[in-house]
Amino acid sequence: MAQESDASNVVSVAIGRWAVAASPSRLRTLLGSCVGVVLHDRAAKLGGLAHVVLPDSRGAVEHPGKYADTAIPALIAELEQAMRGKAAGRLVAKLAGGASMFQVGATSTTAPAAKNIGRMNQEAVEAILASLRIPILGRDLGGDGGRNLMFDPASGRVQIRSPGGGEREI
Amino acid sequence: MTILTEVQRRLLRTILERGAEGASQALSRWLGEEVRLVLGEVEQIELEEAAEALGPPESLVAACRMGLVGPIGGSLLLCFEDHAGLALVDLLLHQPVGTTTEWGEVEQSAAMETTNIVGCAYLNALASHLPSSLGAGSSAMSTAGELAPTPPVFFHEFAGSLLQFALMDQAQELDRVLLVRTNFELGGDGAGLDWTLLFVPDAPSLAAMASALTDGNAS
Repeated sequence: MAQESDASNVVSVAIGRWAVAASPSRLRTLLGSCVGVVLHDRAAKLGGLAHVVLPDSRGAVEHPGKYADTAIPALIAELEQAMRGKAAGRLVAKLAGGASMFQVGATSTTAPAAKNIGRMNQEAVEAILASLRIPILGRDLGGDGGRNLMFDPASGRVQIRSPGGGEREI
Repeated sequence: MTILTEVQRRLLRTILERGAEGASQALSRWLGEEVRLVLGEVEQIELEEAAEALGPPESLVAACRMGLVGPIGGSLLLCFEDHAGLALVDLLLHQPVGTTTEWGEVEQSAAMETTNIVGCAYLNALASHLPSSLGAGSSAMSTAGELAPTPPVFFHEFAGSLLQFALMDQAQELDRVLLVRTNFELGGDGAGLDWTLLFVPDAPSLAAMASALTDGNAS
């Protein structure tokens, strides 16, 4: 659920959700192994953010925001409504997240071999954006720590903050 | 999809309460103060709600994570709000609360050792009461087929990111995830400590537990 903070016009995008915002609002999310997909229409100062949890819906129709293959089309559809037109040729992308802090699924006798979900999310998102011919202008992917992402549709800037306090822009 | 019935949740709660009792005793001995672990609800919740189990996702938490090896996989996470974790270090080092202000090597070691004590006691008690159909051993010693922890690893992380990492395995299979939260109370007056123990089984273990809790009973 996207929640708007009145104080600063910041919309928080929860895990497995997406949101669209226009200047002066900004979008924020918190990432671990999930990937944040930022799509931006520079001319309209409008953009969206999807918080992708897993690479592939495998046909599931519930929770479209959870999966790369359903979240990105859903985000584009909402952006097109806001643009009142087709998104083709107008959007650029920036990506962040996809970290791997500790392996899952490798320790119990009942579990299959471990998968690096962060990396799988990255690969799925990049493949989908390539198929849609949306250029990726910036990436801050991988590693083993969380990221606090803030996107400003007015400028297209994406600020990333690490738990240790380090900040960078993509 | 593994959704626990009310009966299964009640049985699992009974087992986890034994874990909390064992951990309470061990932690009280370790700290030289009476500490009680109070088990929270055993329920499966939406991923979005689970991602806020440690407060606002952007809040910084200190956490030690132990992986689980054996019949149950997943994570056991001891999480502290910064001030509470640093107060623990002061308690252990017999110095006034507020003396420690940052997570250096000694402070991280103290948190990891505490996690080791709490986690091993919790898992020992848990292993003793798991249904035999899960193939659990009788103690959390590191032998094949028995429930055992991996060494604790310290993290200083955004709460939301930490939970994403911990819940990801279940999230692959389930829309509703299980994480069992245990809170800490200090002394006879039950003053709350800002520490949280999270038990997060992986998806295959959750399915195996559901099956075992259907067939067997908590002892």
